[in-house]
Amino acid sequence: MNPFSPANHLILVILTPLVGALAAWLLGSRGVSAVRQSAAVTTLITLTGAVLLILRALPAVSAGHAFAVSEGPWLVDGPFDIRFSLGLDGLSIWLFGLSALLSVTAVMVSWEAIKEKPVGFYALLLILESAMLGVFAARDVMLFYVFFEFTLVPLFFLIGIWGHDDRRRAAVKFFIYTLAGSVLAFLGLLTIVLWNASHTGTLSFDIAKLTAGLAAHPLPMDARGGWLQWWVFLALFAGFAVKVPIVPFHTWLPLAHVEAPTGASVDLAGVLLKIGIYGFLRFSLPMLPEATAAAAPWILGLGVIGILYGALVALAQSDLKRLIAYSSVSHMGYCVMGIAALEPVAVEGATLQLINHGLSAAGLFALVGMIYERYHTRSIANLGGIAARAPWLAFMFLLFTFSSIGLPGLNGFVGEFMVLLGSFQRAWSGVAFEWRSSYLTMAVASVVGVVLGAWYMLWAVERVFFGASRQPPADHGHAPPSSADHGASGDDSHGHGGHGDGGHDHGPAAAEPTDDLRWYEWAALAPLALFVLWIGLFPATFLAPSAAAVRTAMAPGAAAFAARMGAVHGSPLPQTAQADAATTLPGAAIVPSDPPLTAGFERIP
Amino acid sequence: MQFSVANLLVLVPLLPLLGAVCTVLLGRRLGPRAHLPAVAGIGAAAVVALLLLLVTANQVGGRHADPTHPVESVEMISTLWQWATVVDARSGDLPAAEAGVPMAPGTAVSGGTFSVPIALRLDPLTATLLMVITGVGLLVAIYSIGYMHDDPGSPRFFALVAMFVFSMSMLVAASNFLLVYVFWEAVGACSYLLIGFWYTKPEAARAAKKAFLVNRVGDFGLAIAVFLLWMTYGTLNFHDTHLADGTFVEGILGQTRIADEAGYVAGAVGTAICLLMLLAACGKSAQMPLHVWLPDAMEGPTPASALIHAATMVTAGIYLITRSAPLFMGCPGALTMVSIVGATTALVAALIATVQNDLKRVLAYSTISQLGYMFVALGTGTMLGFTAAIFHLVTHAFFKALLFLGAGSVMHAMGGVIDMRRFGGLRHVMPITAGTFLVGAFALAGVPPFAGFFSKDEILASLHAKAHPEAHGSDHAAAGSAGERPRDLAGGAGLVANVPVRPFRPGSMITRVSLSDAHDVSPEAHGVSPEKVGLDALDHPSTWRLLFWMSLLTAGLTAFYTFRAVFMTFTGPVRIPKEAGHHAHESPPAMTNPLLILAALSAFSGLVLFVTNALSNFLAATPSLTAPAVARTAVPHVFHWDIAIQGTLAAAIGIAVAAIGHLGRRSDSPQMERYLGPLGALFANKFYLDQIYAALIVKPLEALAMVTAFFDRAIVDGTVDAIGQVPLAWGSAIRRMQSGLVQRYALAGVVGVLAIVLALAWQLRP
Repeated sequence: MNPFSPANHLILVILTPLVGALAAWLLGSRGVSAVRQSAAVTTLITLTGAVLLILRALPAVSAGHAFAVSEGPWLVDGPFDIRFSLGLDGLSIWLFGLSALLSVTAVMVSWEAIKEKPVGFYALLLILESAMLGVFAARDVMLFYVFFEFTLVPLFFLIGIWGHDDRRRAAVKFFIYTLAGSVLAFLGLLTIVLWNASHTGTLSFDIAKLTAGLAAHPLPMDARGGWLQWWVFLALFAGFAVKVPIVPFHTWLPLAHVEAPTGASVDLAGVLLKIGIYGFLRFSLPMLPEATAAAAPWILGLGVIGILYGALVALAQSDLKRLIAYSSVSHMGYCVMGIAALEPVAVEGATLQLINHGLSAAGLFALVGMIYERYHTRSIANLGGIAARAPWLAFMFLLFTFSSIGLPGLNGFVGEFMVLLGSFQRAWSGVAFEWRSSYLTMAVASVVGVVLGAWYMLWAVERVFFGASRQPPADHGHAPPSSADHGASGDDSHGHGGHGDGGHDHGPAAAEPTDDLRWYEWAALAPLALFVLWIGLFPATFLAPSAAAVRTAMAPGAAAFAARMGAVHGSPLPQTAQADAATTLPGAAIVPSDPPLTAGFERIP
Repeated sequence: MQFSVANLLVLVPLLPLLGAVCTVLLGRRLGPRAHLPAVAGIGAAAVVALLLLLVTANQVGGRHADPTHPVESVEMISTLWQWATVVDARSGDLPAAEAGVPMAPGTAVSGGTFSVPIALRLDPLTATLLMVITGVGLLVAIYSIGYMHDDPGSPRFFALVAMFVFSMSMLVAASNFLLVYVFWEAVGACSYLLIGFWYTKPEAARAAKKAFLVNRVGDFGLAIAVFLLWMTYGTLNFHDTHLADGTFVEGILGQTRIADEAGYVAGAVGTAICLLMLLAACGKSAQMPLHVWLPDAMEGPTPASALIHAATMVTAGIYLITRSAPLFMGCPGALTMVSIVGATTALVAALIATVQNDLKRVLAYSTISQLGYMFVALGTGTMLGFTAAIFHLVTHAFFKALLFLGAGSVMHAMGGVIDMRRFGGLRHVMPITAGTFLVGAFALAGVPPFAGFFSKDEILASLHAKAHPEAHGSDHAAAGSAGERPRDLAGGAGLVANVPVRPFRPGSMITRVSLSDAHDVSPEAHGVSPEKVGLDALDHPSTWRLLFWMSLLTAGLTAFYTFRAVFMTFTGPVRIPKEAGHHAHESPPAMTNPLLILAALSAFSGLVLFVTNALSNFLAATPSLTAPAVARTAVPHVFHWDIAIQGTLAAAIGIAVAAIGHLGRRSDSPQMERYLGPLGALFANKFYLDQIYAALIVKPLEALAMVTAFFDRAIVDGTVDAIGQVPLAWGSAIRRMQSGLVQRYALAGVVGVLAIVLALAWQLRP
């Protein structure tokens, strides 16, 4: 067997962090620096492996195929057919890469922050990385669920042990809330498996087989079938909505973020929130198209509410980290909205927005951590004038802020724009007449979020980075910033100061930038900044490989929506028209199996 | 990519970008030469822009002698790369077969491929603006060498200025609406960073944030306008494109559609698009009600104010509307709104400027007012109006940059003091600054033969023509009036309950109806009465008469506040504030030379451009202005004596009043506004608009945010915690099962789930 076959490559990438965790444990006696170095090396090796794998995978994935598929029997006995099945496709490829990238960031931001029990911390961080990579690579429902739950445990301990004052409560709330949701989701997935088994005879847990099976025999969506599809959809929704999080299931998130150590926040905001949307795309849309279509307007509404609600709550925050946590709630609203719009532009935009938010939120949380390291506060009221003392830190914060508020040329704009464009398109021409005005209202309201988003972020930037420099409260052992003279010179009120006199200046250069970024902080942020620019300028690089898979995933949902809601006023669409709608979709052509989209409404269990 | 002249266009934005990147990379290593990369980049870009201007002018050639002869449009497109492509971006649409809309032959429907090329265009409008941007940019950059020479942040300043020149050139060179939106925000970001350049000053940081947010409100309009354009026309490109699969897409402002009399939607959708664009233009060009950010933006370094907040960025709104002229021509109501907004802004800003004591704020309000003038001209929807607006844009760029740089020179010498009451008689101290400022003031006040006189005259003439259509011959009568516009048939239909809903695809929105055709395509069209309804009813000669008089009044006020500032600053006894120290002398040559060049341009450019009529003829070949609806309004080039006399008289009265009040007096002596009574307070407080916005928008939103945050904490999270208590209550009953270890709970959960699985598996066993 070729040890460098794609399948082995993928398995190696997923296992590397586990080996690294073991190495960290063995090196534990040599002290903090040996442990963190080994963790950094591990994440870098994993990242290199992941990048190489993605490069190998791109041609196949762009064509809409899965890559690096491996299938080991895990529990294949009697009716059970659970396999250790891994692989990458267009939905998962960038999230997989993002997980590998942000793990490096997570280690780097913990470099000086974690001094207590470093072995446990880095080992858990690496186990978490393995689990994150596994979630996106899993091609088997059982394996997906195992990895999914496995992300919770390390994070629970990371928050509970290395967190801030209220860490216990935050960890427990995070764990119980997510677990409650995910158990429901698991029940939903099991029902799917069993329904499929009742038609095929084997208890297959393979996601591809399930998708095909449910396309051939959809879950019943009427009273005679007990509305089973609805119930399954709601169960999945419970799990994924908590994870995203969709308002009003979001309250665990700010608490968890505020209490979590920076490294855990980076992974939590950057990757773990994405699993919710990924789950919708992977399971709900292709497997439960009718229920998804029926729920789409309400989910879209929740997305819009999330955008506005998250922005408004963010506006009222006094803690910088909490503010960014609520901005995550707001920004994930765009992803929810994009998925629920069921338009190709919007769904592709939403999948890209997952990556975008992963980069910008991770960058912002990392920067908040760096500020906390320096000044031991996150209170916006107690911070001020950091730009003068740490110009590059301020620059990076501004860059990620601009990315987050969707400034064109940076990544956030691309996804946001595509989502909004798709939503308008759906509102304008893709819904039945009686829905049009509510859809248009929602679309316009979501654009208001763009204004609010700029408001709270720039307000925070103004307070924290600009203005007169403030002496931060008690600073343990850190180099005291040379800012006293600056605070004094803040009062020469008018513009340009004139020459010489040595008297006053306004620039940052005069202040000693003693608090500026250190090398490991550069290592944490620079790669993210690079991708922020890359995606902003050449989004096609990242859109094209996912396009085919996204189309395939959304095609059944979009067709069901067209049949249900896109119809002309009053008359339900006849079967033929539905077929037309389906075949005009490019996604339908990509689905390789027998034409499933129009069959199977008549089937009653 | 093959070499062509059009590809040279790339260099105009690229060179300043390189300058910015070099400045950032080399940073402090450049030391006192931090300005070099930026100045070199912008300078080289100016040379290329000049070359492109000549090339374009050559292409336009001598086709202008006869105004009745249809002008051929000139455009060159250079595509760099595909930004994003989503093939067949629409789903859930109705099957094509159901679309019962009669599609005129030759209609190209793209199939909704969302394909955005990074494409640049070169046409007369773009060439003109590129020249202004890089030319004024270069002069401002040179001036800044002197102005910023001992500011420690100067590398950052020059990098930002170069970055701005890049963004602004891209904005006017972009050939699709998405790119326009991209750089619309990019110039806003540059502006944000430059206003907040001295970020340790809280006022500067606050002003920067305010500018960005107010602009975001405008961007909100532009974003929705772009979405509507995409859904109406199925493309965002200006130019006609051939997609990779061979499909032909009619660009929104492409040759094909422009030549088509009925290529544009009107009615509700068309008007909505135009009004949203107007909102965007109001944000960027500081028109009411979104003008409040510009005066505060004066917290930035003065050269940045000159370049961004006077000469170039704030004219983006005028560019957008001129570029979109064919879209506006179908919606006379929206066009009239442009003029109404412009005239109101011009008058209100001029009134506020009369009582300001901060020299830069006088100029800021003057900028708002002059931009309003340009809007008034655009709103006439005639060839004369559009070219007059751009003409005024060009001359205004010269004289307003001159005035700002002059103010900067004063501020530089006065040690940062800019309150006119604290200095006076400066013509003795800084003669070059005083002389050039006076030239700029003459130009701004519209005194013949300075530049502003001619461009303002054309604006007033275009208004006069709309106000008195009978006096200006039959050509004017048709200008932008209802007779020639496509009617709304499908446009608003979807939003009105009783009208049958038409399935919609990109491109199908445009129901092509040409009233000149013998057979009407659509029977509904016959029922439409020629009476104008709704917003369109505003387009009436009496409206235009009112606007004309408002503009004439504004002209008088402009002359008054300009010369009030001149007299307060430069005449009277010499007084110098103590902050000036030993700096109270003329500025260095790096600063005065740009002043002299700009003074020459302010003095003569108007006369030259008016006598030769070169600019108008040149601009007429811009694709957007060759649209038949615009082109047929072209009139022979004449000098309007009657209007010139009225304008000059207004300016003379204004200057005379200013002289009575301020010439030769101490600038801290009692002001003329004491005669204004309560009006003086109204003007001095800027009509209380900041306070009104705070009370009506900012405070309520902040309150709402607090309420929402409370709701989040108490209700949403409270409910979750309450639910969390339920198991605990149970637990007190069965406490022994509760070890408190979360792992064990998880285990229990998994075991339970497995039990259910097994039970179900047993049930469903084959």
